[in-house]
Amino acid sequence: MCAHARKGHPFEVCGVLVGTERDGVTFVAAALPVANRETEAPRVRYVIAPEDLLRIQRESREAGHDIVGYYHSHPDHPARPSETDRRIAAAGLSDGVVHVVVGVDGAGTALPTAWVFRDALQAFEPAPLDVD
Amino acid sequence: MAVRVQIPGPLRSLTAGASEVEVEAADVAALIEALEARHHGFHERLYDGQGQLRSYIRIFINDEDARSLGQARATLKAGDRVAIVPAIAGGAAT
Repeated sequence: MCAHARKGHPFEVCGVLVGTERDGVTFVAAALPVANRETEAPRVRYVIAPEDLLRIQRESREAGHDIVGYYHSHPDHPARPSETDRRIAAAGLSDGVVHVVVGVDGAGTALPTAWVFRDALQAFEPAPLDVD
Repeated sequence: MAVRVQIPGPLRSLTAGASEVEVEAADVAALIEALEARHHGFHERLYDGQGQLRSYIRIFINDEDARSLGQARATLKAGDRVAIVPAIAGGAAT
């Protein structure tokens, strides 16, 4: 995720997290980069095409995994969900879904943070992010 | 006619964790009603206050976007595979 964010700077990059969930813990087996389909403001916006999600959903199920979350970068912006992130998550199907936000700057510093959206709060909650 | 529906993670609380369910339905609107009848909550989660499918939700029928097939009126046939897919977007801009 960080390498993808650095490579994509100054544009936002995005991807899909596939893995499993057990006992309330999300285990990410792979972070799969996908194209940012945003065409008007790709430095500050990202869009993952539903067609890409459909393909990854099918492929991950064949591998015994599932889509468990998403990631995107915030070039030269803080590594936390923006109001845009919150508003769109609240309008869609995001309850309990993990979002990793990678803050990245032009010097190559990348900071990943993890969040879980809660419908009941209409907001993201910070989540611990452990990397093996 | 029976069709199989793939359920995304955020909706599995409605299906007792099932990632796929089978329902009888002749079109997308009937499919959502069938899901609602068996697993209460689908109607509220998929439709907005005006009775339209929420803009951040896409439905695919055998990998084809239902919007190009008539959306709620898109017809189904036995054995079709339906997927409910959340659109994902956002970004640093407020």
